[in-house]
Amino acid sequence: MISQIILSGLAIGSVYALMALAMSITYKASEIPNFAQGEMAMISTYIAYVLLVVQGISFFWAFIFALLFALVLGLALEFVFIRRAKEPNLLNLIIITLGFQMMLYGLAGWKWGADQRRLRMPFSETETYDLGGGVVVSQLGLATIGTAVVLMLIIWLFLRFTKLGLAMKASQQNAMAARINGIRTNRILSLSFGISSVVGAIAGMMVAPVTTLDPGMMWDPLLKGFAAAVLGGLTSLGGVVVGGYLLGVIENLFGFYISLEFKSVVAFLIIVIVLYVRPSGLFGRHYVRKV
Amino acid sequence: MPENDFFRVEGLTKRFGGLTALDKLTFSVEKGMLFSIIGPNGAGKSTLFNCINSLYRPDEGKVWFRGKEITGLNPHRIAAAGIGRTFQNIELFANMTTMENLMLGRHLHMKTGLFGAAMMFHRRSRAAREEMVHRERVERIIDLLELQASRDKFVSQLPYGTRKVVELGRALAAEPELLLLDEPAAGLNNEEKEDLIFWIQDIRREFGITILMIEHNMQLVQDVSDRILAINFGKMITEGEPDEVVNHPEVMKAYLGG
Amino acid sequence: MFPNSLIQKFTFIPAFVTTQNLQPHGLRSLRCIETSDFFCIYNLQCRLAGHIMSEMGFAFMSAEMKRSYYEDIQPLKGWPARVWFVVLVAVLVAVPFVIKSYYVYVLSLMAVNVIVALGMNLLVGNTGHISLGHAGFVAIGAYTTVLLISGAGVVFPVALVAGGLIAAAFGFILGIPALRLEGPYLAIATLGFGIAVTIIIGRVELFGGHMGLIVPKPEIAGIDFSGDRALYYLVMGIAMLMGFAMRNILKSRLGRAFHSVRDSDIAAATLGVNVARYKTLSFAISAFYAGVAGGLWAFVLGFINPGLFSFVLSILFLATVVVGGLGTILGSVLGAVVITFLNLQAESIQHVPVIGEVLIWISQNFMTVSGLPNVSWIFTGLILILIVIFEPLGLYGIWIRIKIYWRTWPF
Ligand SMILES: Nc1ncnc2c1ncn2[C@@H]1O[C@H](COP(=O)(O)OP(=O)(O)O)[C@@H](O)[C@H]1O
Ligand SMILES: [Mg+2]
Repeated sequence: MISQIILSGLAIGSVYALMALAMSITYKASEIPNFAQGEMAMISTYIAYVLLVVQGISFFWAFIFALLFALVLGLALEFVFIRRAKEPNLLNLIIITLGFQMMLYGLAGWKWGADQRRLRMPFSETETYDLGGGVVVSQLGLATIGTAVVLMLIIWLFLRFTKLGLAMKASQQNAMAARINGIRTNRILSLSFGISSVVGAIAGMMVAPVTTLDPGMMWDPLLKGFAAAVLGGLTSLGGVVVGGYLLGVIENLFGFYISLEFKSVVAFLIIVIVLYVRPSGLFGRHYVRKV
Repeated sequence: MPENDFFRVEGLTKRFGGLTALDKLTFSVEKGMLFSIIGPNGAGKSTLFNCINSLYRPDEGKVWFRGKEITGLNPHRIAAAGIGRTFQNIELFANMTTMENLMLGRHLHMKTGLFGAAMMFHRRSRAAREEMVHRERVERIIDLLELQASRDKFVSQLPYGTRKVVELGRALAAEPELLLLDEPAAGLNNEEKEDLIFWIQDIRREFGITILMIEHNMQLVQDVSDRILAINFGKMITEGEPDEVVNHPEVMKAYLGG
Repeated sequence: MFPNSLIQKFTFIPAFVTTQNLQPHGLRSLRCIETSDFFCIYNLQCRLAGHIMSEMGFAFMSAEMKRSYYEDIQPLKGWPARVWFVVLVAVLVAVPFVIKSYYVYVLSLMAVNVIVALGMNLLVGNTGHISLGHAGFVAIGAYTTVLLISGAGVVFPVALVAGGLIAAAFGFILGIPALRLEGPYLAIATLGFGIAVTIIIGRVELFGGHMGLIVPKPEIAGIDFSGDRALYYLVMGIAMLMGFAMRNILKSRLGRAFHSVRDSDIAAATLGVNVARYKTLSFAISAFYAGVAGGLWAFVLGFINPGLFSFVLSILFLATVVVGGLGTILGSVLGAVVITFLNLQAESIQHVPVIGEVLIWISQNFMTVSGLPNVSWIFTGLILILIVIFEPLGLYGIWIRIKIYWRTWPF
């Protein structure tokens, strides 16, 4: 029984991990927690829905177009709004992302209303595989975990081995030095928003088939993604992924063994408790100011 | 026995990872003295001040002040014990006026609490009366340091030299018994430097404050100090009368970068 | 980008081109460990204030003359201020007799939001912390007040204060991690707190679960305050009192200590300011204001349920102080009035003359008519972004600009 609970925890944990990863990519580049992350993913998922269901395009192309849209949306957030902030301090930048989030939410609500729709995936939720010992996993769950793992691998390879990825890493670690070495840190920043938007969009497309497609669908995953990111330490990409899976599993275990009622509080209590004990999360680093 | 000393540092050690910024530093300062600390950049001078203030936690060693050990107390308790300071890179409250900055110096001496403050409706309310008394004190410091023109300006609008003076004034407003000055003359032009020397001596005369000063300017140090401590790599090179220290071969070597 | 545009804008006043103002601190991609993000929020405020000062140069020259020290801290200094204040009070007293009862209710809502904004601004604007969980404090205040009256039979004024104090206790506890957390982490911790409160309230029988609670009649010494007008006077009076109290706090030793923590906690500590105490105190006072406002809000609405205290409400509170103007009392008031008004207006946006028709046309042709109310989100979001991009001092900044323009009018 417990392994079944852990497995389904891992499935939902994949979503949290991806949202946390998306948060972390922008956070590392800009030190902004992007509150619009969820809504950006939601809109991209709607685009996929429109292409797939309304326009009748094949799943593969709908998927690709939606991701391209997500990329553009992320670049736009940075280029159109964040870059324009008169006083780019934490509060103002957070306000911009919150404002962007409200705008996207309103736009989706206006265009598609509050009706719940379904995004059909080529994976079924009812078709299950028996992993032995009574542990079963649905096709969709398997696809979710698989996609998340593949995506994380791609990101890791990208940051580790491509020129662009290395430039991103460099400008995160020392913007000044990176700039001196000819890296356009501004573009890198836009790119970080773009990439994280794509990662978020994939998480959105994984959530939609399980729940429903509606403007508020990414609220919960976003907040859980935050929790996971804090758990993992925000600045460590590996850490936040671990945080995501950990949160998924803990939440499921709590829901089963302790209280289903309060399952949704766990994430937020975890945030508060972890921050009490370790102010920079489990894997994050803490800086001291020098005077 | 350390109890007899006014101020004493004993075997103070601070490490940052592999770097030992302070290495078993020991010295003591008598009341009323102007005690200078010299040493090349990165010698650990500011780190010493930060350890005295508890902004950094020393790894080993003790700090004694007026017969009591103050090592590791909270920074605000150390201020309350009577140690004030200025910073190498000016730590003023940039979005407050000169007056407000100086009034913060009076914070320790004021008593107004939450309720009293909220009820400050009338000229004769306790909070308002206290406020006026302390404004009077601050006004005197403004006169002393000739800051009248900057009185109601935001400090972020003031030129660098004036800011240094404001920071000095703020520390003075707290009426400390021991004042730590971290490179007070750095970045000042000659005229400003002369004013500063004048004020430092004035302060000693008028307030009877003991001063511990970090300074690079050898001339200034030699002119005003009673005793000098020279350090390098966190270790003491020598300590003594100004002439002795300045002419000490190792001090000369450290300064010429040999 | 940031520094350049500022240089272009401000070089004509040499005093502004100090090294401090041009330092690119807060530059986003820069991993800057020496300056915390928050230390630069207020630079613009200073610049603007400096701007006024140089614009009104002559008036400020006289500042060099000695004067009564009380003037700086006096409430309603000078007769014009007093006259305006009397006029304002007269208008506020008379207005419920002139307008429809719905608008009396709207004014009461505004007054409640002014109270929250005052507390929020102390925390965000004056002490420099971000809170994304203020709805949690408002909820705690509302539920405590209502339960104490209807469950324990406590009299209304005591219950109201108790609601504020319980909220303050939670604020104090939430302030403890703030001592060690950097900006973004603290933001997320407060967010977690706010949401946890709403969820827990929604699941507990005592709190009426999702259905919420019916609010009893507010009674003070046998007088029933439940009428629209009576409640309005009560709420407005309390808001006014709390506004002045906050003004006094900010002008006093405490206010300076809060500012000092915001500008440089290190320097503050070396001057004897107990940084930890002031950070937690600021959370506690802020939560107290939110709690009292919550208690009053319950009576203005007549019911409470967990849905009222969502994360969205927390964002709106933050939006209120940002739109109004950080760190100023007038900003809190302006922000609360405007955001409350927009929020209510947005619900019936299709009835606004020209805009409404355009929006309906767009809805019919491109969007959905049923989704039209969502437009308010787009507006609110856009206003937030525009404020940050063009006027970080918010409505207060606009007000100051108008004043400058007025005084220097022919030129
Ligand atoms: N917070 C800190 N973290 C790491 N290293 C530090 C810190 N503060 C000081 N140091 C290091 O300690 C050494 C001494 O610094 P400091 O005391 O500032 O020198 P100075 O004598 O010029 O004032 C330097 O090498 C400096 O880099
Ligand atoms: Mg130094």
